[in-house]
Amino acid sequence: MASVCYGGETKTSTPVEPSSKSARKRRMEIHQFNFVPADVAVMSPESGRKSQKREASSLDANSREAEAEEFQKKCLNVLESDSEGSKSDPEVKSAGPKFGLTSVCGQRRDMEDAVAIHPSFSGGSHFYGVYDGHGCSHVAMKCKERMHEIVKHEVENRTNEEEWLETMTKSFSKMDEEVTEWSRNSGQLSPNCRCELQTPQCDAVGSTAVVALVTEDKIIVSNCGDSRAVICRGGVVTPLSNDHKPDRPDELKRIEDSGGRVIYWDGARVLGVLAMSRAIGDNYLKPYVISEPEVTVIDRTPEDECLVLASDGLWDVVSNETACGVARMCLSAKKPKSPPRTPGNEISVSAACESSDKACSDASILLTKLALARHTADNVSVVVVDLRKDL
Amino acid sequence: MATRTEMRADNFNEFFRHWLGEQNQDLRQLVAAAEAYENRRRQLQNCHQNRAGNGHKDNGERVLGQIVEKVVQHYEKYYEIKSRCENQDVLAMLSPSWRSKLEDAFVWIGGWRPSMAFMLLYSKLGLQVEAGLAELMRSVPTGDLADLSQDQIRRVDELQLNTIEEEKRISEKMAKQQQKMADSSMTELSHVVTEMIRNNETRPEEIGFDSARVRPVLKEKEEGLESVLHMADELRLTTLKKVINILSPIQGVHFLIAAAELHLRVHEWGTQRDATAAAAAASSSRNAGN
Repeated sequence: MASVCYGGETKTSTPVEPSSKSARKRRMEIHQFNFVPADVAVMSPESGRKSQKREASSLDANSREAEAEEFQKKCLNVLESDSEGSKSDPEVKSAGPKFGLTSVCGQRRDMEDAVAIHPSFSGGSHFYGVYDGHGCSHVAMKCKERMHEIVKHEVENRTNEEEWLETMTKSFSKMDEEVTEWSRNSGQLSPNCRCELQTPQCDAVGSTAVVALVTEDKIIVSNCGDSRAVICRGGVVTPLSNDHKPDRPDELKRIEDSGGRVIYWDGARVLGVLAMSRAIGDNYLKPYVISEPEVTVIDRTPEDECLVLASDGLWDVVSNETACGVARMCLSAKKPKSPPRTPGNEISVSAACESSDKACSDASILLTKLALARHTADNVSVVVVDLRKDL
Repeated sequence: MATRTEMRADNFNEFFRHWLGEQNQDLRQLVAAAEAYENRRRQLQNCHQNRAGNGHKDNGERVLGQIVEKVVQHYEKYYEIKSRCENQDVLAMLSPSWRSKLEDAFVWIGGWRPSMAFMLLYSKLGLQVEAGLAELMRSVPTGDLADLSQDQIRRVDELQLNTIEEEKRISEKMAKQQQKMADSSMTELSHVVTEMIRNNETRPEEIGFDSARVRPVLKEKEEGLESVLHMADELRLTTLKKVINILSPIQGVHFLIAAAELHLRVHEWGTQRDATAAAAAASSSRNAGN
C-alpha cells in the first residue's frame, strides 16, 4: 500500500493492509490521505473561548528574519492576487479533519522515517504520528505499527480525572518497553533491517515520536525527540512541542543529574552519541535518554487553521512560520480548473482522489519539495491536518 | 556481423567523442523545446484560453514526448556500443582513456552512480520549486519539475530506494570479484611463477601475462568483472528510463537537460584540468632537464 487514499464524504474507510511481505518490504514510505470522517462532531461555541490549558513555550525557531520577510511578501502578493479564490469550495460541506501526508527518503541513502495516521482511531478522535528513526528504521516502524494501538488502549481505559500527561506518558512508556522487549528477541527482525548483522541486540536503535490526538474539542500533542508539531491559529504560529535537544538547559540538567554527559561532537550529543535527549528505544543510553513525552493540551478554537507535524528533515531547513505560511496558502488556494495531469499509464490511487479535496496533500507535498529545495540532508516526512470546521 | 566483432575498446574513444557531439545537439534541441513550451504556456496563461488551447497543448506534449524518446534512444545506443566494447576488453572499459581524472574520481563501476539520478532530479526540482514558489502556493502549474505530483514523488521515492538497494547489491558483487584477485589460484600461480624466476628455470614467454599458464587465470578474473560491469550499465540505463517514465514529457525534457549539462560540463572541466596538469608536468620536467 504505497499510497492509500480515503476519498470523499461518501466512502467508508477501511485501511488497506499490505498484501504481502514483499509489499511491506517496500516500506510504504509515501501515503496520501484525503479523509473526511462520516461522524463529524460540531464544535460547541463555548470551546472556542476556553483558554489554552498550557501555553507551549516558543521554540528557538531558526530565526531567518530576512527569509521570513521575503516569504511574507510573497504570501501577501499571492493573497492579493488571489483574494477572490481564497474561499473554499462550498461543495465540501464536511467539518472533519482532512489531511495530507508526504514522506520521502530525499538525499539520504536509508529511509528511517515512518508515519502513522488513523482517523477515528478511538471514538471521535484522530491519531497522527511521525517517527524519525536512528541507527536503523525498525524502532520507527514498530512505533508506526503499534503506537496508535497502545494509545487507543490507554485512552479508552483512562478515568475522567486522569490527566492527558499521565495517559500519554503511560503510552510512550509501554511503546518503549515493547521495543526493548522486541529488540531482545531480535530473531524476528524484518529481513530488510540493515542493523541485523551489526548489532544482534539492536540496543543502539531508536526513534523520535511526535503524536497528535485531535478530539472534538482538544488537541493533545505528545513529543519525545526532535520531530515537531506546530499549529497555525488565526495566522499565529505556535509550536505544540519543544524539541528534545541535549543542550536544552533543562534537558542538560536532567541528563547530568542522572549521571550522564553531553559531549559536543558534531553538535551536542548524549555521551557524544545521540543528538537528542529523549527517544523511544536507545536502550544503551538509558537512563540519560528517556522515553517520557512532554505533553501539550490545547482547546480547539474556531480560529484554528492547520496542524503541521514533521520530522527534522523539514524543520532543519524550514522555519515554523514558513511551514505554516505555505500550509495556509495551500489550504486557502483556489482549486485549479483542471488538476495537473499525472503521466504514466497506470491509474494511480492518489490520482483517483484528486476529485476530492487535495489542498492538504498539496500542502504536505509542497513543504516536502521546499525541504528538498533547501538541500535537507535527512528523510522528510510531513503531515498537514486541516483544522478548520466551518468549511 | 563483421562490424560487431570489430568494435574494439580503442574505437570507443572515437565513438565517445562523436557521441558527445551528438549529446550537445540533443541538449540544444531539448533547451529549444523547453523554451517553446514555456512561451506557449505563458501565452495561454495570458489569454486565459486554457480550454481553447488544449488541442494545441496536446500536440506540443506529443512533440516533447518524441524528443525525450529520441534522447533516451541516444543513451541506449551509448550503452549498446559500450557493452560490445566491454566484451572485447573489459579492463580498457573500466579505466578508459577518454575519461578525465575528475570524472574518474566519481566513477562507480565504470560509469555514473545510478543513485545520482535522484540527487540530480531533486536538485533540479529544488531550483524550480524556489523559482515557482508563489505559483505553487496557489496550485498553479509551473510546467516543470516543481509540478511533480504526490503520486510522482511517491514513485520516484520508491524507485530511489529500489535503485539504492540494487546499487548496493552490485557493489557487493564487485567487492567479491575484487577480493578474488587473491584467491588460491592466483596465490598459487604467483608463487609458482616467482619461484621459477628465482631459480632461473624459465623463459619470459612461459610465465608472461599471455602465456598458456597465466592467460586463463586472468581471463577468468576479467570475465567476472565483465559480468558486474554489464549489471552496472544495465542499472544505469534502466534507472534513467524509469525516471523518465515517471515524468511528464516536459518534466523529462528538464531532467534530460540537467543530465546533459552536468555530463558535458564535468567532462569539459575535467579535460581542461588534465590538460593544465599535463602542461605543468611537461614544463617542470623540461626545467628539471635544463
